[in-house]
Amino acid sequence: MKLKKISLWLTALVCLLGIFAVLAPSGQVQAADNSLQRVKDKGTLVMGTSPDYPPYEFITKVNGKNQVVGMDVDVAHKIAKDLGVKLVIKQMDFDSLLVALETHKVDMVLSAMTPTEERKQSVDFSQVYYDAGQAIIVRKQDLHLYKDKNSFAGKQVGVQTGSLQQDLAKKQMKQSHLKALTKVTDLILSLETNKIDGIVAEDAVAQAYVANDSRLAKIDAKFDLGGDENGTAIAFAKNSGTLVTAVNHSIDQIKQQKLTKQYINDAGKYMATNTENKSMFNYWSYFAKGVGYTLLITAISVVIGIILGTVFALGRLSRKAILHYPAVWYIEFVRGTPLMIQVMFVYFGVGLLWNNIPAFFAGVVAVALNSAAYVAEYIRGGIDSVPVGQVEAARSLGMSQRDTMQTIVLPQAIKIIWPSLGNEFISLIKESSIVSIIGVTDLIYQLRAVQAATYRGVAPIAVAMVLYFIMTFTLSRILNHAERKMQHG
Amino acid sequence: MAEMLKVENLKKAFGKNEVLTGIDGVVNSGQVIVVIGPSGGGKSTFLRCLNLLENPTSGKIAFEGQDLTQLPEKKLDDIREKMGMVFQSFNLFSNMNVMDNLTLAPKRVKGEDEAQAQKKALELLERVGLAEKKDAFPESLSGGQQQRVAIARALAMDPDVMLFDEPTSALDPEMVGEVLKVMQDLAHSGMTMVVVTHEMGFARQVADEVWFMDGGDIAEKGTPEQIFEHPQNERTKDFLSRILAQ
Repeated sequence: MKLKKISLWLTALVCLLGIFAVLAPSGQVQAADNSLQRVKDKGTLVMGTSPDYPPYEFITKVNGKNQVVGMDVDVAHKIAKDLGVKLVIKQMDFDSLLVALETHKVDMVLSAMTPTEERKQSVDFSQVYYDAGQAIIVRKQDLHLYKDKNSFAGKQVGVQTGSLQQDLAKKQMKQSHLKALTKVTDLILSLETNKIDGIVAEDAVAQAYVANDSRLAKIDAKFDLGGDENGTAIAFAKNSGTLVTAVNHSIDQIKQQKLTKQYINDAGKYMATNTENKSMFNYWSYFAKGVGYTLLITAISVVIGIILGTVFALGRLSRKAILHYPAVWYIEFVRGTPLMIQVMFVYFGVGLLWNNIPAFFAGVVAVALNSAAYVAEYIRGGIDSVPVGQVEAARSLGMSQRDTMQTIVLPQAIKIIWPSLGNEFISLIKESSIVSIIGVTDLIYQLRAVQAATYRGVAPIAVAMVLYFIMTFTLSRILNHAERKMQHG
Repeated sequence: MAEMLKVENLKKAFGKNEVLTGIDGVVNSGQVIVVIGPSGGGKSTFLRCLNLLENPTSGKIAFEGQDLTQLPEKKLDDIREKMGMVFQSFNLFSNMNVMDNLTLAPKRVKGEDEAQAQKKALELLERVGLAEKKDAFPESLSGGQQQRVAIARALAMDPDVMLFDEPTSALDPEMVGEVLKVMQDLAHSGMTMVVVTHEMGFARQVADEVWFMDGGDIAEKGTPEQIFEHPQNERTKDFLSRILAQ
């Protein structure tokens, strides 16, 4: 018996490793380079970017609609026009951009990215289209304390995770304590609340923030920069030679006609309109969209979670090994891994097999599958707690196992499970926020967008917090009411 | 008299614990068998084996000529339909009112329509004196009332035999009488019954045959008079002297 159990577990492990082996092959084995032809065939050029980095890329309202704008977007438009295809912009965290390239979620990445040696290992780069110096943003009242990067010995210095600035600071600011965050807006907030003393950023970015926030100032960082470690370029998946050549041609024109200067000016205008009215009310549509998506993701996930959870619970309770063990494995595996990784696995991992998996779909699937494992355990607990006498009475009347489950056990179990299901529903509202990392426009994502658009850190957080509370509080009232009704019914 | 149930060399073990060591017995149509004996003697296990709520380890159980131990699960549902069972702890469906408790199985298993099932349920409730409780939920009824509803629920399937597993053991003393009265009326109506109980008065008055069970087998069988007045087996004598001394 023991041996049988162990061998079953081993089979499970082997199956899992098999799945990873299938998903593992990287893009490097691709033979012929058809990158340019592919883009032309589908008629769209998909650009990945993390729009929290004005003036390169940020979100603004154009004719009442939220839109990604900035120098990088203008560059991308020019390239798309030269290729004769339509530009599509996909938003995601900076950290996710290179993965998105490798998994062909996007055709190119423009996100103020510097072509470092490390990055060149995994992706191809175009020629540099913009050269920018590095600056350090500080609080205006502390401006007199600092001269350059060497003034920050023993100080807290902020950088964006995975950025060139993080590398530079690591190598050339060894005396400083580094703090890496994903979002520049969070770094600015940390600076303004004295959590850190400076932020290493590209000069253009630093200039944008300083111009729009009177509490900030900037100094020249004076890093020793190698040839490649300066400027920004466009990243492509490996073996995209034909596409890179075509894009380099567009960049030549941009350089000749000095278009970037004009692009930065345009970005500046958008930034000025953004900061005209910083009131949160002005951004209610951002928050409304976020609340809508958060509720939608939660609602779909709860429904799928309950249906699948019931299936897994019945599987786990089954005496048939073929139903029992897969259910046990699933429940244990999902509960034993973080939701964040599951979301990334579904979007990027499954995306290897299904190229155009929409981020919203991937997010909902991951959250629903995660929830199903927890719901399965609640349901199993509920079924277990129905007295065995209820089942025996039904069976003694000639009712089948299935009939007994449907008419006697599940209705009684639901009453017991209801409070736990309600808690799961409420925690999903909060936990679904993790889908923002793959660019689903839920409330957290919109909160970031408002932060980036208004250069205000705390106010959007406060608004989002209150909105989350209103959602969960209302829901818990409704669920309590339903529970009371059920107990009397 | 027609043979309804025939048990041959029935054995049941839970792991290494042998609860039934080899039971033989025949229940004829219309007979009332009362099974008595000390606690832990295997009475309840024996009864639960009869409709295969417990799977016997070995032996034969013939019901109306069919060996139940050889039947697949699906067929067993058809057999259980004809064997009503009343439990010590009533086991009314707590998510349904009295009427639904009575009509659920006739509708689901026998395919009766709502009106037909309700009409019969009301007759049965009247028979156990609880027609006015048809809309009540089990939790609002006393133990005695719940057990009478449970008997009516089993009767609603028109069973050929009724199995009673210590039906009065969980009741407050003042409620035992009302349940025994219903069982007595049922016996007089000609129902075949197998009753496991500690109520010696009931055994004496109603039983056609009394089986004394101890240590996993039937030590002695006989009419109430034989068992209570002239017990032959030492274990029977010992048990009865302890019971009657109370």
